[in-house]
Amino acid sequence: MKEGKSFKSNIQQQQQQLQQQQQQLHQNGHLPPFKFAKLLDPEASWDKDQLGDVLHWIRQVVALLCGLLWGAIPLVGGIWIVIFLIVSSGIIYGYYAMVLKVDEEDFGGHGALLQEGLFASITLFLLAWIVVYSLAHF
Amino acid sequence: MATTPQFLSSLKYGDSLSLIGISFCTAVICEAISWLLIYRTNSYKSLKSSIDKATKKLETMKTETNQSKITIKKSKTKKIDRVETSLKESSRDLSLFKFKSGAVVALVLFVVFGLLNSLFEGKVVAKLPFRPVRILTKMSHRGLQGDDSTDCAMPFLYLLCSISIRTNLQKFLGFSPPRGAGAGAGLFPMPDPKTN
Repeated sequence: MKEGKSFKSNIQQQQQQLQQQQQQLHQNGHLPPFKFAKLLDPEASWDKDQLGDVLHWIRQVVALLCGLLWGAIPLVGGIWIVIFLIVSSGIIYGYYAMVLKVDEEDFGGHGALLQEGLFASITLFLLAWIVVYSLAHF
Repeated sequence: MATTPQFLSSLKYGDSLSLIGISFCTAVICEAISWLLIYRTNSYKSLKSSIDKATKKLETMKTETNQSKITIKKSKTKKIDRVETSLKESSRDLSLFKFKSGAVVALVLFVVFGLLNSLFEGKVVAKLPFRPVRILTKMSHRGLQGDDSTDCAMPFLYLLCSISIRTNLQKFLGFSPPRGAGAGAGLFPMPDPKTN
């Protein structure tokens, strides 16, 4: 039992050292190449900034796609804003909790992860929805 | 070149595309000015670097404190407080630095908004697929005739363009503020309950 706990803390220390080394590389201007395979790898270790950036961009893509789709069909009514929020938050939650399997406590909790890029995604969604709706249906 | 305006004028709400184009160009110009006045300076680079270092150090110290089952030593708590205070000071300095240089960007945005206002005053630039709440109508229906709240005026669409395009452009170019300079930091930080 004790050996298991010390093994776990050793792993965590190694992960922290790796993050510090990555930070040094970043500061020296030599960024390690970002591998897209990492996006689907539940064993990958994530830096807080990297994960935040990934979640931000996923939100923007979802917002753009939803805006284009809602505007093209068209879907009309304020309820679809709420549905967009539920869908995009659900996708983000599903991604970090089920695909990446990260411990949200290491990254500031569910709130911190779910709010990454939220406001920008809402404005992008509204912009895409309004413009596509206006151009395609009038 | 002549076909582009014809194409836009054939669309009832073609002005919305012009607005997006102008917003994008404005965002690029504003980021270029910010880069010239803020991001390329040594002061900004050193402040950002110290905020990043302090944030990482704080996270490591807090993680180690959470992991250890023994009572947290006073010296450890004091160290964490010192790093937090240094992080808040750096964040405040960064905000102040950006505020001074941001006045130029604000002037550009003010001029562009004035120009757009004169170009699109009284024009319906888009149709909203929802009825906005009363507070939003003041912006979305500003200067328009009639009672149809789904008619969209320039200010609302320009606001959406500005926020979405600028935020993502900053993110793409790596000019977003560091995450450590978040809540509790800035020009007017909240008083620390520990020191009171």
